[in-house]
Amino acid sequence: MIKVRELEKWFGKLHVLKGIDLDVNPSEVVVIIGASGSGKSTLLRCINFLEKFKKGTVEIDGKVIDKNNEKMKNEMRTHVGMVFQHFNLFPHMTVLQNVIEGPTQVKKISKAKAVEIGKYYLEKVGLSDKEAAYPSMLSGGQKQRVAIARALGMEPSVMLFDEPTSALDPELVGEVLSVMKDLAGEGMTMVVVTHEMGFAREVADRVIYMDDGLIVEEGTPEEIFNNPKVERTQEFLSQIL
Amino acid sequence: MDYNVSVLIEYFPYFIPAAWKTIEVTALGILLGMVLGLLTAFSRLSKNPLFNVPARLYIFMIRGTPLLLQLLFLYFGLRSILNLEAITSAVIALGIHNGAYIAEIFRGAIQSIAVGQMEAARSLGMTYRKAMIRIILPQAFKRAIPPLGNQFIIALKDSSLASAITIKELLLKAQQLASSNYYMMEMLTIAAIFYLFYTSIFTWLFHKIEEKLAVSGSR
Ligand SMILES: Nc1ncnc2c1ncn2[C@@H]1O[C@H](COP(=O)(O)OP(=O)(O)O)[C@@H](O)[C@H]1O
Ligand SMILES: [Mg+2]
Repeated sequence: MIKVRELEKWFGKLHVLKGIDLDVNPSEVVVIIGASGSGKSTLLRCINFLEKFKKGTVEIDGKVIDKNNEKMKNEMRTHVGMVFQHFNLFPHMTVLQNVIEGPTQVKKISKAKAVEIGKYYLEKVGLSDKEAAYPSMLSGGQKQRVAIARALGMEPSVMLFDEPTSALDPELVGEVLSVMKDLAGEGMTMVVVTHEMGFAREVADRVIYMDDGLIVEEGTPEEIFNNPKVERTQEFLSQIL
Repeated sequence: MDYNVSVLIEYFPYFIPAAWKTIEVTALGILLGMVLGLLTAFSRLSKNPLFNVPARLYIFMIRGTPLLLQLLFLYFGLRSILNLEAITSAVIALGIHNGAYIAEIFRGAIQSIAVGQMEAARSLGMTYRKAMIRIILPQAFKRAIPPLGNQFIIALKDSSLASAITIKELLLKAQQLASSNYYMMEMLTIAAIFYLFYTSIFTWLFHKIEEKLAVSGSR
């Protein structure tokens, strides 16, 4: 589904990703953990080419994406949903408009059909009653659930989540995680950057620990949380748990 | 000094053609300024030096010199080459002048929209162009409205400089009438009343637009 090979990324002189190899299989939930600044967001953003990178390849759904081919990248992004830490909802559109924007404008689906799809996903995230609301009228948790519905509206084959609950008040984290849990249960392929270790333990098929631009260790949640082999992973976990 | 109020009423009708002239120069100047401003804003934001260098140069030169100089330059300075009519010169000068300021207003508004908006749009598969049109510009326009309103009022007042190139707008009319009837204060008062009337309308109009936009949507 996703195949990243020897990915290297610099921000100017700063070497942020130092050779990442990552495979994500269909219906797999991969959780990426690691200290702030270790390159987790950058990795996610390289996967859908929001960030340019110097070396390495990214293959999605069996196609190696040509970084100079805008058309190919746009096409690829219609299959790769992304959820951001700060939601990035379109403030000038209602909730439903947010969700149907991609389907109508990018996939050129008819308005009527898109509305049907939009309503379906809004129901899925439990926000049917908010379809006419503007984002500014929603709580953080509701905003993030709309953002998830917006990404799902494109009917992607994989979803990337970049710390989807980090900007939320603690009491709102649960509703977003529960939507994500349901999604995982339905077999959605997911790559999730998060500090929610409970979620990682419960939902992840595989946990990846990143440090300083490298994947230091990966394994099942039991392997990573119960007996991490690498010292750096142990240190990180002892700080966070 | 005597101030004759009845003169105000008596001479008021004489100003009406000049009042139209002021509106004509202002409206056409703003229209041209908007077109130039938008084009320049995009050129200025382009990464291609072929676009952004001319845009920078244009903004630099126009903002760095007085409008009066620009007017005189276009009308008298380039007379031997262009031989433009006074009204054409006035509209073009005002348009070019305002274009530079409007470009900066649009650029600022576009840049003030968080990068996350562009990223969210691109992550849905939108092209840069589509994301600009559907996501960034509607938000940017909204943000540009208060400074645009300001700029339009400045343009209105600046249209008085066209008097220097023989355009019979409000200020020149006032001066000309005063030179024959010696009611300088009264003539200037009438012109001032017209300007205040226009600026009030502009202010009111922009207020309405802002209110309307505030209702539809957030921020
Ligand atoms: N746009 C950028 N320009 C320059 N440096 C950046 C940029 N984005 C991220 N970085 C740097 O890259 C490193 C990795 O950042 P990031 O991927 O956001 O880490 P994480 O998501 O793991 O916290 C950090 O040192 C960060 O400061
Ligand atoms: Mg991050």
